[in-house]
Amino acid sequence: MAYQLLKFALGGEYKEPRFFRDCQTPKKSYDAIIIGGGGHGLAAAYYLAKDHGITNVAVLERGYIGGGNTGRNTAIVRSNYLTPDGVNFYDASVKLFQGLSTELDINLFYTNRGHFTLAHSESAMRTMRWRAEVNKHVGVKSEVVGTDEISKACPQLDISCSGKSPILGALYHEPGSIARHDAVAWGYARAADSMGVEIFQNTEVQSIDVKNDQVQGVQTNRGYIATGKVLSAVAGFTPRITKMVNLKTPIVIQPLQACVTEPMKPWLDTILVSGSLHVYVSQSSRGELVMGSALDPYEVHHTKSTFDFVEGLTSHIADMFPFLSNVKVVRQWAGMADVTPDFAPLMGITPIKGFYLDAGWGTWGFKATPISGKTMAHTLAHDKAHDLIHSFRLSRFDEYELTGEKGAASVGH
Amino acid sequence: MSYQNKDNMRLAKKIGEWIDRDKVIKFSFEGEDYTGYEGDTITSALWANGVKVLGRSFKYHRARGVLSLANHDVNILVTDGVDTNIRADVVTLQSGMTLKVVNTEGGVVNDKKKIIDSISALLPVGFYYKAFHSPAVLFPFWEKFIRKAAGLGVVNFNYPRITQRKLNAYCDVLVIGAGPSGLSAALMAASNGLEVILVDENQQLGGSLVYDRAGGNAAKEMLDELSVKMAETPNIKVYTGSYAAGYYADHMVPIVTAKGITKVRAKTVIAATGAFEQPPVFRHNDLPGVMLGSAAQRLIYRYGVKPFNTCVVVTANAHGYRVALDLLNAGCTVVALVDMRAEADRDQYVGELARKGVKIYSSYCVYEALPSKSKLGVRGVTICPFDEKNGTSNTANSITLDCDGIAMSAGWAPAAALLYQSGMGVRFDNDIQQFVPNSLPNGIFAAGKVNGVYNIKQRGLDGMRAAAAALQYLGKSVETINVDHHQGASPSHFYPIVMHPKGKNFVDFDEDIAVKDFINAAQEGFDNIELMKRFTTVGMGPSQGKHSNMNAIRILAKIRNLPVEKIGTTTARPFFHPTPFGHLGGRSFHAHRLTTIHMWHKAANAVFVDVGAWSRPAYYQKSGLSRIETLQQEAIAVRQSVGIIDGGTLGKIEVCGPDAGLFLERFYTGKYIDQKVGTTRYALMLDESGVIVDDGIASRLAEQLFYLTVSTSNAAAVYREMQRWLQIWQLNVGLVNVTGAYGLINIAGPKSRDVLAKLVDIELSEANFPIGSALETQILGFSARIIRVGFVANLAYEIHMPSAQALNAWKALMQSGVKEGIRPFGTDTQRLLRLELGHHMPGYDTDGLTIPYEVGAEHALAMDKPFFVGQRSLQIIAKKPRNKILVSFVLPLDYSSEMPQDCNLVIDDGVIKGRVTSVSYSPAAKCVIGLAYVHPTQNQLGATFEIRTDNGSLAKATIVKTPFFNAE
Amino acid sequence: MKLLNCPMNGLRPLGEFIYGGEYREMPNPNNSSDLEWASYVHYRDNAPGVKKEWWFHSPSGTWFIAERNTLSDEVLNTYLFGKAPFPKNENLSDGKLGDEKNTELSA
Repeated sequence: MAYQLLKFALGGEYKEPRFFRDCQTPKKSYDAIIIGGGGHGLAAAYYLAKDHGITNVAVLERGYIGGGNTGRNTAIVRSNYLTPDGVNFYDASVKLFQGLSTELDINLFYTNRGHFTLAHSESAMRTMRWRAEVNKHVGVKSEVVGTDEISKACPQLDISCSGKSPILGALYHEPGSIARHDAVAWGYARAADSMGVEIFQNTEVQSIDVKNDQVQGVQTNRGYIATGKVLSAVAGFTPRITKMVNLKTPIVIQPLQACVTEPMKPWLDTILVSGSLHVYVSQSSRGELVMGSALDPYEVHHTKSTFDFVEGLTSHIADMFPFLSNVKVVRQWAGMADVTPDFAPLMGITPIKGFYLDAGWGTWGFKATPISGKTMAHTLAHDKAHDLIHSFRLSRFDEYELTGEKGAASVGH
Repeated sequence: MSYQNKDNMRLAKKIGEWIDRDKVIKFSFEGEDYTGYEGDTITSALWANGVKVLGRSFKYHRARGVLSLANHDVNILVTDGVDTNIRADVVTLQSGMTLKVVNTEGGVVNDKKKIIDSISALLPVGFYYKAFHSPAVLFPFWEKFIRKAAGLGVVNFNYPRITQRKLNAYCDVLVIGAGPSGLSAALMAASNGLEVILVDENQQLGGSLVYDRAGGNAAKEMLDELSVKMAETPNIKVYTGSYAAGYYADHMVPIVTAKGITKVRAKTVIAATGAFEQPPVFRHNDLPGVMLGSAAQRLIYRYGVKPFNTCVVVTANAHGYRVALDLLNAGCTVVALVDMRAEADRDQYVGELARKGVKIYSSYCVYEALPSKSKLGVRGVTICPFDEKNGTSNTANSITLDCDGIAMSAGWAPAAALLYQSGMGVRFDNDIQQFVPNSLPNGIFAAGKVNGVYNIKQRGLDGMRAAAAALQYLGKSVETINVDHHQGASPSHFYPIVMHPKGKNFVDFDEDIAVKDFINAAQEGFDNIELMKRFTTVGMGPSQGKHSNMNAIRILAKIRNLPVEKIGTTTARPFFHPTPFGHLGGRSFHAHRLTTIHMWHKAANAVFVDVGAWSRPAYYQKSGLSRIETLQQEAIAVRQSVGIIDGGTLGKIEVCGPDAGLFLERFYTGKYIDQKVGTTRYALMLDESGVIVDDGIASRLAEQLFYLTVSTSNAAAVYREMQRWLQIWQLNVGLVNVTGAYGLINIAGPKSRDVLAKLVDIELSEANFPIGSALETQILGFSARIIRVGFVANLAYEIHMPSAQALNAWKALMQSGVKEGIRPFGTDTQRLLRLELGHHMPGYDTDGLTIPYEVGAEHALAMDKPFFVGQRSLQIIAKKPRNKILVSFVLPLDYSSEMPQDCNLVIDDGVIKGRVTSVSYSPAAKCVIGLAYVHPTQNQLGATFEIRTDNGSLAKATIVKTPFFNAE
Repeated sequence: MKLLNCPMNGLRPLGEFIYGGEYREMPNPNNSSDLEWASYVHYRDNAPGVKKEWWFHSPSGTWFIAERNTLSDEVLNTYLFGKAPFPKNENLSDGKLGDEKNTELSA
């Protein structure tokens, strides 16, 4: 620590190397190509190299790394899901996150805050208990708590929500954390690059070459690249990629919006979510309140903001924290969420050989970044889905075997 | 020189000034008392008092003074003890304000945190990504320090809830910006008969005409002329002191005023939003006393305040010359005008300045501002020859000049946020070194500086051109107006950046980001403008890049040796200025629905619960009884005698017409075509994937009239789906949602027949009106529908009547049941009662993926029908093995351990097999009863399974038949 | 808030409408395979483009079809199901957007 600071102070000349090379000309072929240089794609590249020794890999990013939903989410990490499969998957992600700053040698500002999902009705309390029971069963720390415990963790919260929808209790999830989302992408990019993975920015996949139901390569604005394995890790752009290979999915793209206040001195230590009020809020390490809401109500493939969103959100946050009336919202933005009918991801192999999907992230993609990378790398390396993602296979929709996250998914984050 | 020296900097009265010198305002700042005038901003009043150290920077706690005086920076944020992060540059001074600077430790002059500045070399850009995380166990320790340093103001937890009203406004043309182009546009549009709204964030109209005067009167005269016309034009609604917060779809622009938000829906929008003056970058360009030329002009002409005593003007455009003339006019000594350009001598004002004795240094730069000993202000400036092509300065020939301030004018960045949000495409105009609109969406127009027009006469004309274009867009016939392209020197310098080995040449004043930070970021690979923004945090502070983004783009272009247009711009998200919660949230309406009996329930001590938008009694509180005890008593009343519940919230839909039966057969899983008039049938609704959505009762009241009751929370959605399918099937059916029109009272229990019989003229005997009967009759003289139901008791009646009559009916039934001890019950009790009968409830005992086979609803599926929604999916699902099935269970009669709760899990050999969906002690069954999902292999009567309770103990449950008790 | 043209009530703010999803032609349940039916129930034509969609005007209870570009969010046309399309309402346009790439760069 002291050494790192001194290095900057005494070095005179700034000697920090590039995080990753500025790749411009792709090779003729790679063992695997990953479409999408967000957290998921970069993590998959990293684990392909690290866990499976597959380093002849190119990551193709249409814009800049981490510029999609990796840089647009509200950076919450948690694992208090409803189905055992969901809980196990996200719990593995939380565990990877906890060691990630050290593993990638970058400070991800992964800070454990505790996460309260507030319940304003008896039926919400029942769902909280359901989640808590499943979480506890698989060893994840979640419990139903009363208003005293909520007030103790967040004394500023108006438990009556301005008299409009009193809070009855909450699901408290101790491991709930926040992280610096951009740094996750940068850290994986640097680590993957250092093992030989090539990252191409401003590189757009225009078509995917499939012959005899087997991937042959991809056509890009930098030319044709041959490969037998393509991983699509593009979240809100998934339908555009799956269309290239004529693959049908149940995904619908809906914008998810968020906004941020001016920085203020830290006062909100925990992460709060209210399904009934459709809000979630935490305070970043810069002092801003980072706030989000439910998905936009209809399909759009763009990232424009709406005024309705910010009107509804601020009204509800002010019900919870009436004293914020004159605190100012600085900026709002949106991302494109790839939503599935059962609110569980869509991962693994597909009917097209060599075409792998990492999609269906809805509003939960960021928190899955490490584990999705790890399991997808495994899936590519073995051409067989990792055990942890069996429930998330695309074929479940043909089989009427939907995953049961829908019950708890009104507003998750 | 001492700072906070309290020199009187107030000038003699200026023509057109915004202050009222007859109205003195007293206030205090950092514990000292001052006076200002009405019309002053906090900053202008302080500067008039010679107070120049007005803030501390976010990261390094460097002393800061005026930069833009226009809300393009956040150098000066204060708190009045109630509110925080008050933007002193633009907030009007109020009598009695007690102000302190935010984010200091020990006051603004002696801020102890300024130590951070002296170790800033330890903290290069992005350092925090590379420190503190190893070893991991220490990060929580470091995090505490980091969190303490974060943030600006302290939030006041006692601040009152402010709920500002929202208004809507509509116009033909919304003109944003009331400078010369905006005023001209508004006048032109209005004189052609359009309804115009004109908005400007400043307190008065005029934009730069108010203050950019070059020491003369021409600008003021132009403003006066426009003002007269404005006064004569009635169809322009003016919002001053108000800003357009953002552009949203279909020309919706929220205007933020002091009193709330007005949502303007315009047919066309003209953005005459001007440009932000950009600081040239040199060492110590952030010291108090170094300010933008336009800020100095604002001080002089708006507030009658002298910016400096002795100053140097550094410039790279004509505007700097105008500023110098204004400074001279205000009595400042202008030691020198330093022009970074090689061709400075061509400027039209050179002669005038020379005549007034100002020495002009052409091809010179300010190499650094020299801090006073206290580091709280400027004592002088070092200038040296500058090669503008290469951006190199020749320090060997530097000159030091004494001064107490520097005015800077090097260029502009268009205030184009709203245009970007509307979907504008841009190009970079090399002649003016600025991004200008290349393509604008339909109905959106740009005028003035934001459109790349700088010449004062052309700006007015450009406003008229935009107005003419808007008129044409709206179908009016007017002549197209042409505006000359910019001629002469560029208003913006292509690279006003001066390197210095010791840095502290700031680009972003919000975030303390200097040139070196960009170079380092690029070196580490963050050489895309968006990545650079995220890594350095440039433009991410509260002023959102207004004074920093353009320089950042220029620096990155230089680093990458690319033209500026190849770098592109970062996204411009709403809001234009940070906007308060109270404004955005408005009055926070909370819609709710009450039945006509609501006040009666309230008077009877009902404890209410929200069901969708409805408020319903959960139970009726009796003093001295717990909730559970109350529920049980209410349930016992129903089992032993009679109870009454307000069901007015239930969805009620009339399906009428010749095809009504056919429609229901397609919509629900059962059969209705052959249903007899006067009877009811169960109605189970699935979605297309075979999942249970809702259930209810279909009563056939006439050959062509079915009356459907559906659950409270699903009523709207069920009705909506009915309407959609009706459109698709095109059947001869009418649908009427009578949910709100009808009240519903359910009386239940062995004595319910006796109680009801007293009020109706029909024979209610078992033989004449058995379960499953429905008819229309009269009660208390009005028409009602009576349905014999069995959801909560074997003998129970629903009485449906016009909602206006529901309270009368309720009271009459209560009266009629006095002898029987009739007791009202709520929804919590209702759930227990139906559980005792073994009925499952959609949404309670089912979830978003439950299929009929899992709840034993096979009897409701008429699979032999030609079609019903969900049928084809059920055919597929039927072939698959089940995962779970809902069973009825009891706990042993003597069970006394931890009581199972809803959603406790069914565990078998350490594996989750299901969960409890409903569980309660039943006074009728005299044991704990419930419904739970178990594995299908475990569903035989008499089989047992284990429920894990909250404390971890396992409760052994036995599967039994329902109902759980021997019915009456 | 966006505006939407209800065929029965004219231009109304989006808050009065409920999105009913993509309009899909139901296959004949009697002669479609299980896989074809599963595909109809679960899968969507989800790439951006001009789509036929169900929209519901809530205050008046009107279902109708909107032809909407899901990339630009521009509504090209609205009409009652099964009725001949109305002529295009020029006032509906909130401006043509280029493809997503351009909007990303400039928005």
